[in-house]
Amino acid sequence: MDPDTTLPVLLMAAWLVPLASFVLIVLFGKYMGPRGIGAGYLSVLAIVTSAIFSLIAMFGVWLPNHDFPAAHESEHSSSTHDGAVVSATDESHSKDSHSNNPHPDYYTGDWYSLGEFGTLKLTIGYYIDSLTVAMFCMVSVIASCVHIYALGYMHDELHEQFVDHEVTLSSGEHLHRKGRFYRFFQYLSLFCFSMFGIVIAGNVAMVFVFWELVGICSYFLIGFYIERHSASTAANKAFIVNRIGDFGMLIGMMALWSSVGTFAFGDMKNEKGEVEQGLFSLLRPEESEYQLAPPAGMIAEQKRMFAGDPNASAGDAATPAIDPKRNTQGQWLLFIAGVGIFCGCVGKSAQFPLHVWLPDAMEGPTPVSALVHSATMVAAGVYLVGRFYPCFSPEALLVIAYVGCITLFIAATIAITATDIKRVLAYSTVSQLGYMMLSLGLGGWVAGMFHLITHAFFKGLLFLCSGSVIHAVHTNDMTFMGGLRKKMPITAYTMLVGCLAIIGAGFPLSVYGLSGYYSKDAIIEQAWSFGSVNPQHAILKWAPVAGAFITAFYMFRLWYMTFAGQPSDPHRYDHAHESPRVMTGPLIVLAAFAIGIGWPIFHVNDLLEQGRPVGTLSATHGELLTNLTIPSEHDSHVPLIKIPAGIAAFCTALAGVLLASIIYLWRLLNPDELKESFKPLYGFLWNKWYFDELYNYLFVKPTLIVSHCAAWFDRNIIDSILHTSAAICKACSKVVDALFDQTVVDGTVNTLASGTWGLGLWLRKIQTGSLRQYVMFIVIGTVALFVTISIVQAYFIPTS
Amino acid sequence: MTLSDPKVYLSLLVFLPAVAALVLAVLPRLADESYKLISLAVTIFVFILTLGFFRSGAPIDFEAGVAEMQNLFNVDWIPSFGIQYFMAMDGISFPLVVLTAFLSVLAMGASWPITKHVKGYCILFLLLETGMLGVFMALDFFLFYVFWEVMLLPMYFLIGVWGGPRREYAAIKFFLYTLVGSVLMLIAILMLYFNSDLTRLDAQQLADAGIVSVEKGGDAAQSFEKWKESDLPLAQRYAEITKEADLTQRKQLHTFNILALQQMGQHTDLFDGEALWGKSTQWWAFLLLFIGFVIKVPSVPLHTWLPDAHVEAPTPISMILAGILLKMGGYGLIRICYPICPNAGYQMAYFVCFVGVLSMVYGAFAALAQKDFKRMVAYSSVSHMGYVVLGLGVWSAVADTGYNPDYWKMGANGAMFQMIAHGISSAGMFFMVGVIYDRVHHRDLDKFGGLFAKMPLYSGLAVGIFFAGLGLPGLCGFIGEVFVVLSVWKYSYALAIISAAVVILTAGYILWAIQRVYLGAEYKGPHGEAITPITMRELSIAVPLLVLAIVFGVYPTALLNYMQPSVDMQIDRLAVWTEEHDNRATASNPLGSQDGQVADAWQR
Repeated sequence: MDPDTTLPVLLMAAWLVPLASFVLIVLFGKYMGPRGIGAGYLSVLAIVTSAIFSLIAMFGVWLPNHDFPAAHESEHSSSTHDGAVVSATDESHSKDSHSNNPHPDYYTGDWYSLGEFGTLKLTIGYYIDSLTVAMFCMVSVIASCVHIYALGYMHDELHEQFVDHEVTLSSGEHLHRKGRFYRFFQYLSLFCFSMFGIVIAGNVAMVFVFWELVGICSYFLIGFYIERHSASTAANKAFIVNRIGDFGMLIGMMALWSSVGTFAFGDMKNEKGEVEQGLFSLLRPEESEYQLAPPAGMIAEQKRMFAGDPNASAGDAATPAIDPKRNTQGQWLLFIAGVGIFCGCVGKSAQFPLHVWLPDAMEGPTPVSALVHSATMVAAGVYLVGRFYPCFSPEALLVIAYVGCITLFIAATIAITATDIKRVLAYSTVSQLGYMMLSLGLGGWVAGMFHLITHAFFKGLLFLCSGSVIHAVHTNDMTFMGGLRKKMPITAYTMLVGCLAIIGAGFPLSVYGLSGYYSKDAIIEQAWSFGSVNPQHAILKWAPVAGAFITAFYMFRLWYMTFAGQPSDPHRYDHAHESPRVMTGPLIVLAAFAIGIGWPIFHVNDLLEQGRPVGTLSATHGELLTNLTIPSEHDSHVPLIKIPAGIAAFCTALAGVLLASIIYLWRLLNPDELKESFKPLYGFLWNKWYFDELYNYLFVKPTLIVSHCAAWFDRNIIDSILHTSAAICKACSKVVDALFDQTVVDGTVNTLASGTWGLGLWLRKIQTGSLRQYVMFIVIGTVALFVTISIVQAYFIPTS
Repeated sequence: MTLSDPKVYLSLLVFLPAVAALVLAVLPRLADESYKLISLAVTIFVFILTLGFFRSGAPIDFEAGVAEMQNLFNVDWIPSFGIQYFMAMDGISFPLVVLTAFLSVLAMGASWPITKHVKGYCILFLLLETGMLGVFMALDFFLFYVFWEVMLLPMYFLIGVWGGPRREYAAIKFFLYTLVGSVLMLIAILMLYFNSDLTRLDAQQLADAGIVSVEKGGDAAQSFEKWKESDLPLAQRYAEITKEADLTQRKQLHTFNILALQQMGQHTDLFDGEALWGKSTQWWAFLLLFIGFVIKVPSVPLHTWLPDAHVEAPTPISMILAGILLKMGGYGLIRICYPICPNAGYQMAYFVCFVGVLSMVYGAFAALAQKDFKRMVAYSSVSHMGYVVLGLGVWSAVADTGYNPDYWKMGANGAMFQMIAHGISSAGMFFMVGVIYDRVHHRDLDKFGGLFAKMPLYSGLAVGIFFAGLGLPGLCGFIGEVFVVLSVWKYSYALAIISAAVVILTAGYILWAIQRVYLGAEYKGPHGEAITPITMRELSIAVPLLVLAIVFGVYPTALLNYMQPSVDMQIDRLAVWTEEHDNRATASNPLGSQDGQVADAWQR
């Protein structure tokens, strides 16, 4: 099959089927069986269809047409490649492994345009490379599992009377409402559509469109229990915090748009057959050997920006273009664009400092947490960093690395003290996303993307297991659990698989381990590789190792508190039971993936290597920070780095598990006593580093104050100016009335009137009634008229 | 005198509501219901007339993809002052005309709960529609002004008689504000009129102004010769004046023709003379017109009439007010301010953009603080209309950018799109507020809650429409906003960053309102028993609005096809003008004009 035509069609079908399901459920969901049970089946059918299409795209089209690189070291695809729309695959590049890698194989095109302005185009289109296909498969498979699982998990919503125990009405009763089964699946379908939209997007603008759409789906799903105030608040928080990230993303987009004039990732032909270059080719032109080189438009725009500065001279000083050795032309703008786009990813992937929304998002039903808030949507930020990767300057990558590093550490520490099972997992998600960001920032593109995929499976699994537990004991609080492994063995042991996968369990220095073993070790290797060339950034080398220790600790703490030991709440324990097969089935499937997806025989790594972004293989050096070097990812595979990194990762993880076992399994140390002895630290972590409080005082309250000021200003300043001027007008008119109207105007009129009156009185005197007198008046009048006319005629009218 | 004559068709379109109002006035007393039905029928008929333009190939139609004026006609009205009955439509006005007719139908449908003086209400409503349609179609400045005023009085009474408790205050505030605007506009009109001179335009420009009619494919010069010999009053006066060979002695042939004034503004120095305090005629005209129009938009700080007017006005009038009346300000800016006074617009571009951004930010902040549902929506209008002012003003086709008009085109198209999108979403939002107000008779945001459970369909539609206002992709609000915001950086990155930040505030006030009104466990306000599901009548108003919001959001080309050619042409003209202007300035001042200095600075 010709991938050029079939891939877009297959993936478009996979993308649109959930949309169709959404539309059908919106319109007819209510009528699909009792409480809309049919909607659930429809939605499952849709996502399974998507999964089938995605898998066909992968195994039927992509893999047969794209060979894996023969061996890991002798890299750089010499894959045969037919009919990419525009392909820069150049086999000559594969000869020299130190030259930079060209474009990966990709297929791109536009479906339709949102707006075209001269050369500027905003379109809806596709960009498909191996990463796209891999993401499609990952998302659709996990989504299928979650959908099926949700059929069981959400069955409460099928009842005519759903009792929400978390909502107490003013009458003191719990809320009784009708079930909303179909609505849940309606949002899930919309979410899948939006998520696929991000993955398939052919340009940044389209990413942004679906970025917002997944945001709104997340909003609906977090706030699914609309009656719960905490849920709707969490939903608002999620959306607004994401919008803060989007604000940064908009700035990045504007910087790109104004300087490069395109959002398209890849090159594509227009109607005339000319090649329109996309961002990747423009920023990494072939002439510069795919090194990042800001195009002319960007250099001009940066100049314009600094010139437009009121302190133009200061602007010049800030642009160290004076230094002839450093070429910073356009680099600042590139940095702004990169960091701006990354801001969007910070919001979506819940990175520090915008990580605060994700733990609250656990208000949503657990399948949502598994699908949206761990496996897919929050990973979209990481995905975008990976997709946009060729456009990040080394400085922007450093920012990404630091943000990832801080995030992974903060989130891991908070997870230590949390007792809500879903929140532990949420912080774990934040922390793992931090790992991915760190890896990407340090140049480990494949490692980061690989971790994205493995993490999606084991974190989806962990959340579904936690959902199964919650379903059984009706609480999120781990302090009410314990000993559950006897009651629900499938859940317990699948969750153990998830825990082992997330801590990266495996035999060190061998090729045997769970999926997390491969991806996490790759990240740590990359960090060590980076640390070896950038000693000034040593913290980036040690943080992931420390994170591995904490991760192992809190994950096993979670598992022990839930499944091991004695039941801490016998009442709940007695009522607990293993979940129905519709829920355990997906657990087993995901557990299988969590074990095996990383195995070298499945070539996920090689598949991703096929999609390695253009020009990211060789080491790059910063232009603004000249002592910054982003090492080549392949340098991390040298034994000098790989062996110590692997051992460090293994030892720290083992240490974490041991510590957790000491405290929570063997009870050699009493957790409550530890709590007491580290009270200030415990309080600090328990309160999540006080981020919510801090933001409340720093941002939320000031915003509300400013808004009240604005409203006050309207009412009391602008309107009072108006009212005062109206009053002055009125007063003036009164003065005019008094001074002018009443004296002058009325005076004149009155004088006139009285004059006329007087005249009349006087004239009355002549009305004598004597005929003779009248005749005399007539005669006098006539004579006077005659004389007047004669005079006028004689003197004033010129004779012609 | 057939319908295929633009003269007849357009006049019918504009004056049908007014005629119907007259008929209603003289009709014997009917049941209230009948008045509403008749008015609804008339608005529907007018809407069908506008739909008639979509039949491409029919004797009268509006072709997509054409930039120039279509269905143009002019008839002398008061020849001694050169006032004409001159109407036409292009891509800028046509979508607004259709929107007007469409929203009039919906607003009339939303008028059913009105029970007071129904006859008077219907008469005024229909008069209002004539005024609105006329404003968008008139191309004679005098005629434009007449329609502008025609619209004002019915609105005053509709707010003042049928409004809420503070209706008189709101009505007089609306009236005085708008009146100040129109007085300033009148001054500007007269300034432009007395400086205009038709004899300074060449044949092509006269043809572009719709004065000399050129056959399709015909030559402008030939038609011009023919026109000069015709017995049209204007042609005769033209001939009479141009008989005087000595240009210094020659009298001026003044005109109110907006298109001709545009040509003069862009191609002659007629409006460049000093008027007052060292500023040119066009500088003052622009300023006066700008103030007049942004009162209508409304922009901060001239916006305080809007919240009051909206809060007091009955629901259908709020829909009209937000959906259409505000658009007249934006329409005036793009049709009159910029093309007639390009030099002034160029000088004041930053000021205009600043006003736009200020409105966006200030309106959003103020909306966040409101307790009254309708007031919140009103402030959201202030914020959203800020995008329009900003998008029209991003004059990025300057020397720095090589006179590249593309970004400005994007901004202007975004602004125009935003006008239509806001017409749909804000009318919808006000209607949605009205639906719940009709039931519970209060609008206190803190005293709602739980409506989703009691009115699921209504709540779903309302949330959809509010999201259109929030600028969610896939709904109409997104397209306009994103076009505008993306275009700003090229003009000024500081303004761009501020304008992008507004997305956060918008999400804040809309989501917060949704949470307080629709979500939650139970209704907290009075009259809870009166909350009944949405009726068919209300549905038939809300659904079309939401459907349109989705259609334009998903497929904006449907609208841009009609709109963009005209907007692009105008921006292209202004970009060309800018380049010529800069060249003239550099030529006359070799050291570099003030405008050019910034550009030079960085080139060195």
